[in-house]
Amino acid sequence: MSDSKPAKYPLDPLAVARAAGLDRCVELFPDDVIAAAQAAAQDRAELPAVDGAAEPWPPMHIRSAQ
Amino acid sequence: MTDLHWLTATEIGAAYAARRLSPVELTRALLDRIAARDREINSFIMVDAEGALDAARAAEKEIAAGRTRGPLHGVPIAIKDIIDIAGLPTTCHSKVLVDNVAHADAQVIGQLRAAGAILIGKLSLHEFAFGGPSKELPFPFARNPWNLDCHPGGSSSGSGAAVAAGLTPLALGTDTGGSIRNPAGVCGLAGLKPTYGLVSRRGVFPLAFTLDHVGPLARTVADVALTLDAIAGHDAGDPGSAAVSGRRYGSDLARGIRGLRVGFVRHFHETDIVADPEVATALDEAARVLEREGAQVRDIRLPRLQVIASVQRMILLSEAWAVHAKWLRERPADYTAPTRRKLLCGAFLTSGDVVQAQQCRTQMIDAVDNAVRDVDVLLTANGMDPSVRLDDVAALARTYPRQARSPFNLTGHPALALMSGLSKSGLPLSLQLVGRAFDEVTLLRVGAAYERATRWHKLRPPIFDDVPALAAAG
Repeated sequence: MSDSKPAKYPLDPLAVARAAGLDRCVELFPDDVIAAAQAAAQDRAELPAVDGAAEPWPPMHIRSAQ
Repeated sequence: MTDLHWLTATEIGAAYAARRLSPVELTRALLDRIAARDREINSFIMVDAEGALDAARAAEKEIAAGRTRGPLHGVPIAIKDIIDIAGLPTTCHSKVLVDNVAHADAQVIGQLRAAGAILIGKLSLHEFAFGGPSKELPFPFARNPWNLDCHPGGSSSGSGAAVAAGLTPLALGTDTGGSIRNPAGVCGLAGLKPTYGLVSRRGVFPLAFTLDHVGPLARTVADVALTLDAIAGHDAGDPGSAAVSGRRYGSDLARGIRGLRVGFVRHFHETDIVADPEVATALDEAARVLEREGAQVRDIRLPRLQVIASVQRMILLSEAWAVHAKWLRERPADYTAPTRRKLLCGAFLTSGDVVQAQQCRTQMIDAVDNAVRDVDVLLTANGMDPSVRLDDVAALARTYPRQARSPFNLTGHPALALMSGLSKSGLPLSLQLVGRAFDEVTLLRVGAAYERATRWHKLRPPIFDDVPALAAAG
């Protein structure tokens, strides 16, 4: 559910997809590739800002110490 | 005796103990009902009639000899077709895995076998627990027994539809962003996403490793508790499994809720995403019911629903991409369009996006932990809408994100969906209760108190036969 402004994917989605090895997708389903890039841009835009130095989840736990 | 197909697991156990019913008699009755009714519902991908009857005969002998293994002994259960049963296909409802046969049981299947449960077949789902209804799927998509034109929710769509239609008393589903609670909600059932790590995921095809949960769908909270008793516990073969031992999760079901504290997260459905008025009214009434039962209900705030959901979605997309990238590169045409479009999003995320989401996740977990320090459970919306028509593609797309389920996949807290009413159009409404991590006992206690006070769980879909929906509520 988005109530923010539509975000635009800043790069060429088909070129990025080819770089990711998705040549067959680009060939067969270019509309799906473009739609996915757009959706990813929207998801990125909705992600809240956070202190870049904050510890991500999950904290590292070394197994052999247990 | 009530029609056999509407017996709960609890009632089945009592009938076995009183020698009023046998596992073979019940299993045959359910197999007959599946053969007669599931052509319309499509909840099963495959029915293992032979295996189920073999297990029923074995259970019958053991029970007759006084060697009862426990409350699930001889009780049928159906399994979402993303969970391995040795020797049976695990297709994930996808052409990608349509020929895949499991070589070993998933951990939860081994636990169910040890409890004496009867595995009756594999249930339909959204493709890889992620796609949606599509005519491109290798098997027909499931329909909602309350209205066959409507969506049964997903991704555990067959699990919800089969239990609601009286084809099985119990089902297992999986839940990565709400996939147990969505079908439980729109099919009028109880469905539990346990605490992350309480139930093993070994032998379950992953959608997103850090969000995936396995849990039960049933017609009562007591049956959810019995199933959880069987499937909970530490598994060294699941890296996410918690170091917990099993317990009796239904031990407090009859205890009532006098003095318990309930935090009502109103802003989720009143301002963050405005719910259908019937859903909102049913939630207000649920809060009043809990107060009448003796709980103290007060409003409580969490981070904005869309914010939590966006963090969950970012992690889901990145982890699902990791699982599917190879197949998307090699055989993209074997996915249906809804699944392919969702999975491809992961190709356009960056390492910075993923780490940012994981940083936010720490904050979200802290926020929910802080909330449940002051109250015993949270009351929230489940879905924001009743079910919609399967042929209304726009409505389907709109309802998927209109939910309050995915926050608790992100944080790992246990969450229980319960029926909370019927819409004017005769479709189930649902609420969600959320508990402290690993405190399923209290969560189910509150659910059972609500169930006793409302009796919504007595309603049955009116489409086939048997039970006039409203009259059955008593």
